Order: sequence, then C-alpha cells, then structure tokens
Amino acid sequence: MPDTNTPYFTGQWWKRKDVKRHAVLWVILTALIGYFGSEIQTRAMGTPASEAMENVIHLIRIFTWAAAPVAGFVAAIAIGALMGKRHHGDFPPPEAEHNISNSPRTNAVWIVISALLCLFALVAGLIALQKDNASLLDAKAIHVNVVGQQWAWNYDYPGTAGVRSNVLHLPVDRPVVFHVTSKDVKHSFWVVQMGIKIDANPGVFTESAVTPNKIGTFDIRCAELCGLLHAYMQNKVIVESQSDYETWLASQPDTGKTTWTEEKAAA
Amino acid sequence: MTTMMEHPAPTSGHSPKVGIIRHLNIFTAFALGALTAIVVWRLSLSLLPADSESAPLFTREDKITLLSMIGWFVGFMTGIGALVAPFRWVMGKDLSHEENMYLAGKDMGVKRYFRYTTDHKVVGIQYLVITMTIFGMGGILAMLIRANLGTPEGGWIHPQAYNSIVGTHGIIMIVGTIIMVTGPFGNYIMPIMIGARDMAFPRLNALSFWLIVAAAIPLIWGQFIGGISTGWSAYNPLAGQAPLGMNGYIMFICIFALSTMVAGANITTTVVRMRARGMTWNRTPIFIYGVVASVALALPAFPVFFLSQVMSGMDRALGTSFYDTARGGSGWLYENLFWIMGHPEVYVILIPAVAALMEMAPVFTRRPLFSFNVAVMGIAGICGLSVLVWAHHMYMSGWAPLLNAPFMLTTELISIPTGMLFLVLVGTLWRGRLWMTVPTMSIFALLWNFMIGGVTGIYLSDVPADAFLHGSMYVTAHFHYTLMGAGLTGAIASLVYWFPKMTGRMLDTKLSWASFWLVQIGFNVAFIGMFFVGLQGQPRRVEAYAAIFNKGNLVTSIGAATIMTGMLILLAAVIGSWRNGVKASMNPWHAKSLEWTVPNPVPLENFETLPVVTEDVYGYGRKSS
Repeated sequence: MPDTNTPYFTGQWWKRKDVKRHAVLWVILTALIGYFGSEIQTRAMGTPASEAMENVIHLIRIFTWAAAPVAGFVAAIAIGALMGKRHHGDFPPPEAEHNISNSPRTNAVWIVISALLCLFALVAGLIALQKDNASLLDAKAIHVNVVGQQWAWNYDYPGTAGVRSNVLHLPVDRPVVFHVTSKDVKHSFWVVQMGIKIDANPGVFTESAVTPNKIGTFDIRCAELCGLLHAYMQNKVIVESQSDYETWLASQPDTGKTTWTEEKAAA
Repeated sequence: MTTMMEHPAPTSGHSPKVGIIRHLNIFTAFALGALTAIVVWRLSLSLLPADSESAPLFTREDKITLLSMIGWFVGFMTGIGALVAPFRWVMGKDLSHEENMYLAGKDMGVKRYFRYTTDHKVVGIQYLVITMTIFGMGGILAMLIRANLGTPEGGWIHPQAYNSIVGTHGIIMIVGTIIMVTGPFGNYIMPIMIGARDMAFPRLNALSFWLIVAAAIPLIWGQFIGGISTGWSAYNPLAGQAPLGMNGYIMFICIFALSTMVAGANITTTVVRMRARGMTWNRTPIFIYGVVASVALALPAFPVFFLSQVMSGMDRALGTSFYDTARGGSGWLYENLFWIMGHPEVYVILIPAVAALMEMAPVFTRRPLFSFNVAVMGIAGICGLSVLVWAHHMYMSGWAPLLNAPFMLTTELISIPTGMLFLVLVGTLWRGRLWMTVPTMSIFALLWNFMIGGVTGIYLSDVPADAFLHGSMYVTAHFHYTLMGAGLTGAIASLVYWFPKMTGRMLDTKLSWASFWLVQIGFNVAFIGMFFVGLQGQPRRVEAYAAIFNKGNLVTSIGAATIMTGMLILLAAVIGSWRNGVKASMNPWHAKSLEWTVPNPVPLENFETLPVVTEDVYGYGRKSS
C-alpha cells in the first residue's frame, strides 16, 4: 500500500500497479463502448436514403467515439472499485487507507478534457447544421408543399400549376425544399429514412430540405401527438428516376390550387 | 406504522383549547371540497349564460368545469384548515404557543398524518406516502401502455383513452419525480441535517403538501370527463380542442405549481437562515446543496408553468387567443412557456437525487467526498445553464431556426458541469472500501444509467441528429434514463438510507436487494429496447406501430414487467419493514451528519439543545497526520 502521507500522483505514479490496471481496463472499455455503441445504433437506423441521413449516422458514430473514452474511464474506475476490497455485513468496514478529499490537478484535467469534447461536439454539429441550412437555399431545388391535417398528409407541387397528391413522389438526386404547414393542430413531418423532420404549424410555413439519393419507397410519419389517430398519420414517399417522376407529374390532374408559391412567399 | 402508535396519547383528555383547528382534518377537507364543488357547479349551471352563436365550442362547459374545480380547491383548503391561522392573524388573535404545538401534532399519535400538521417530520412522511402512491398509479398506467403496445395493431384500448393514459402517466410521473427526493427527504431529513428544530415556515410546509392532495382531485376528475389526450406537454392548439378533461390538467398544474413555489421559498429560507452554528457553507452537506438547488431552480420555473396553464384555461373558457394562430396567437408561445419550465424541471428532478447519492458515497466507501467544491460548482453550473437551454425542445418546431445553433451551444455546455458530478462520484469510489449495500450499488447503477442518459442527450442536443431523433421513442428512452435510471435510483437509495431514521426500523435487506436487481435489469432491458425502436423510426405516443418495431417493443414490455415485479417487492419491503422490521440503532450506517445524532423516533423538535458543528461531515479515512 502506498504511503498515505504523500499525495497519490507523485513520482512515477504511472508505474503503480493499480494505475496500470485501470489504464488497461480503460482502453478495453473505451474500445468496447465505442464499437458496440456506434455499431448497434447505426445498424438500427437502417439504410440511409439521403445525404442528410448519412450525416446523422456519421454524427452518431463520431459522438459515440468521442464519448467512449469518458464513459470508459468512468466504467474502469467503477469496475476497479468493485474488484477491490468489498465488505458485507451490518457494520461498516474499517475506514479507507487515505483521506484524500481533493486533487486540483485531476479536477483541472477533467474539466479541460470535457470542455474540449464539448467544443468538438459543437463544431461537428455546426458543420452538419451548416450543410442542412445551405440545402434550403439551393436554386436548383424543386419545391413541394406539405399540408398536415388530422390525420393525413397532402402534397402539392407549386412549380407545376397545381398538381396535388396524397402520396409524395420525388425525383432521385434532385434537391427538394418542403414548405410545411397544418390545417388544424401541430403535426411533425418526418421523412424517416431521409433523416429530416420539421413541425407543421397552423397558419405558418416552415421549411426543410433534402436530396433523396436512393430510388425506393420510404416512410413518412407524424412525430408530434396530434390527437386521436396520430399513430396512423403516416404514408409513403416514392423516390423515382427523373423521367418516371415527370411521367407521374404529367399524369396528375391539374387542380389550379397550391398552398405555397414563391410569389406568395415573397409578398 | 408501529412507531407512530407507540405514543397513542388521545387528543381528547388534556389537550388545550384549540378551537376549530381540532375539528378539521382530511375528512372535513374532502367533504367541504366536494360540497363547494357541487354548489358552484349547480350555481354556474343555472346562472352562466349560454354561449353566443360565434363562440368556440365547449366554452360554457369549460367555464362550469373550471369554476367547479376552483370551488373544490377553495373548499378543500378551507376544510383542511389552511385558512385558520391567517384568519386568526388578521383578526389580531394570533395562534398561542399551545395551539401551535397542537398544529405541530404534539402527542396526537397517528391522527396527525391526516391533518394540517406543521411538523416537518409528519410532512416528510406524508410526502413519502403520496410519492409512493403516485408511482403506483403511474406504474399501473405504464403497464397499460405496454399492454396496448403488445402487438403492432395495438387496439384493445380506445385511442382516446390510450392518449389520455400516456398523458396522465407522463404528468403524474413528472410530478412524482419532482417531489420524490425533496418531498420526503428534503422535509424529513434536511432540517435535522442542518441542525434546525423545524422549517423556517412550518405552516407553509403543511400548505405545500396539502396543495398536492388538493391538486390530485382535478386530475382524477379530468379522467372521467374526457381525459388528458394531449400527452403530458399539453401542446396548444391540440389542448384547445381536447375534451373537458383538459381543465383537470390545467387546474392540477396550477395548484401543483403553487405547492412547488411555496415549498421552494420555504426550503430555501430554511437552509439559508437556519443552519446550525458552525455549519458554514463549506461544511454544509452536499445533499443540502442538492435540495436547495432543486427548489431554487423551481422558483423561477414553476410560475411560468402556472402562467402557461392560466393562459391555456383562458383560451378554452374565456375565448382569449394566446395560442390560437387564427386569431393572432401562437402555439410557439405555449411551447416556449412550457419548456422554460420544462428544462429546468428535469434538473429539479435530477440534482437532488444525484446529490443524495453523493451524500451516501463517503458513508459507504469510508473516505471523504472527492472534490466537494467541484460538486458544488457542478450543481451551480447545471442550475445556471439549465435556464438557457429550453429551446432545444423546439429545434424542429420552426420557431426560430437561427437560434438552433446558440441553443445547441448552451445545451452541450451542460455536459461540463454534469461531467463534474461524475468526477466527484468516481473520485469518491476510487480507493474506497466498499460497504456493499443497496445505496452503494445504487451509485454504480446511477453511473451506468446516467452515462447512457447523458451521452444520448448529446446526440439529441445536436440539431442535425435531432432532425432524425426528435419526437421518436429514442427521446422517450433518453429521458427515462435520466429521470428514472438516474433520478429514481437516487430516490430509492435515499429511501433505503434514511428509512431507519424515518421509521426507526431497517428496510428488509433481502427484499431490497431483490428489488434493486429486478428494477435495474428490467429498466435497462426496457429502455434499451426503446432506444432501438426509436432508431428504427418509431414515433412517440403512438398506440399502433409498423411490424418492424415489434421485437423492440416486446423487449421493452418484458423489461417493464420486470420493473413492476421489482417495484412490488420494494413496496412489500417498505410496508413489512415499517410494521415490524428490525429496530434500527440511532446511527446504523455510522455516518457523521447531524440527522444521525438524534434518537429514534425523532423527538418533536429534533434537538434538545441545538448542535454546534465543529467537524467536516465527510471526515472519513485514516488521518495522514
């Protein structure tokens, strides 16, 4: 046992046996937490259907790896403590061999590292956020109006003089901006596999943008409790090639009515 | 309850003249409350004019419902005796010492638990019982939710009833977790721990408890007139179109917010003004910091909650349009008000629970708390930042997209003071001699659960990731990890730790161990399953779901059943040990804080002579000199 009179972290403290044991535990636990934490989560999220979703998966992966050393450290100390001397019974064990009540150096290191990790998370988030925001301003984007009402989604295509549909069709690899509103209460427009979501508020338009990059059928669900049949307020988005999309658009009857146009938005 | 019956002095014999106070108790309160409600209901039914043609639907019914509930509230509080002392004071005939001692429950036996009793120990026990009742009811609702989610089609509960169950489960569990540490232990233990004879304002203390009882009835009442079909957050405009039951929610929140404000002012004053001589801030136990931080944080938060519901009620009953977009209001206003309360509120729940485990860590590792100052700084940092993060609940609302980045910053900054709490706990575990008890293992459980809750919180704080995760089951799992995995674990550990002081008996060891493992394992199974379905894309608060979510939901249901088993065992342990458990010594844990220096059962005014603090409360470990 080390002498209790001297502070613990003096001399060649890193050569102490228990420090080494904790260090080994720390490395192993960090690797396990980082690997399983990111793998299980990203696998559950399925195949992404847009770059935005790829970003989400990427962010969850790097945040998990950034958090893994901290979680691994806490776990290493916890396991180390459990593997040490344990005492059972109705009376307390003898007092611990030391009465260390502070370590300014440990505190400082801990706070600096957590501040750096926090900064890292912030920067990573800001970069991804910037990408999402930039896609809202894409000049090549097609625009789609989304109207939520209890308990259905409807879509119309302002560029086409009034095509309306209750199934969303989108061309692949083409940026799209959604203008979302609601007729009654709050809903939340969630295109699951594309990793975007925006609330539908009555009386106002909110915007969200995405570029689908896979052909297929994906899910749209309402993510805000909106009353009786909230659970059933979901339908599909069909992502198809540009020519299929145009064929579909042309086959739709023209209603002459849209809820959002660039002119209205400018006014 | 045996300890209470040990001094069954009757009230009739030699009790002083105490006037009307002696006739008021829980029965008169319920009777007068019900009577007033019925009278107000009949009167408003016959006197209120019919709605005009242009008025929104339900307005007259809303007025009648709200007025009847207010009638209940006034009648109940009068019937319990909350108005006696202020009335006497106004009349210039303040209560005599004898009357005050009668109010404190002197020589009254078990009856004092059913009255407007001012003794902080009685209030603590009352809080403990009501907290357990709330968790029991909330747990039953949780099991109903899980039962309905047993198959993808859901369906055996009507969607309206299901939504109401989800909302009621949410709000009563939130209320239960808010009071679970500061209520029982903040009231019973805290004054003894700081060496005081009672709270600064004993009558406010009784008031804060009975307000919760008064609040419960409108919520239950609401269940029979349409329920709370909006989820616990009761967003407008959905709440505006919800049935009459919504008024029950509104009244419940208003009265509960009053209770929280009263308790907050009382506890803060008590700790600031009434600590024993020698108990400087540096010698004040960390649990006291946790309790004060919690209630002080509630002080700015709950008036906002109160206000948000008053406005919601006015929109419904009086035709105002605070939240009605069509007539110049905004649903975003509600969201802002709600979350200005809502985010500090999660720390109101969490901080005292973590602080309680910090209090126990030195006792069960027999060494000093590591970095007391960092612990205080962590608590203070969380409090300070938590009032600046509310809009992270609104990233996807479209309210102010430009503010997403600054709110992401404040939210992620909270991980720094939160990390400090982790440092204090692991620092204390490190090189300690572990005394293997349920509170000790609860520290480990807290580290595990709070780490998962904290790291998933980082994903959610990130705007682009939140665009996927927001509103999904992932969020539900995340806050259960923080509020239940961390918070409730701390509260149960507090129960085991302070049970001997509060009841004079030890909590059954075998049963509490069994309960601990069942609850912790069941909890992790349940909510890891819920994380999984959230990542797969299952939204929150749904009564049916796509077939791909079936497995994850099944796992969650199995976990939930395990939690329930564990909780029932804990309940059996509490009831059994309270009635005839092993008698506890004065200081069964050989701890150094003041509450262990008073005998069991604790005398009415705690200390014969007030203590003077001369030592460090965490002075464990072999001295180096």
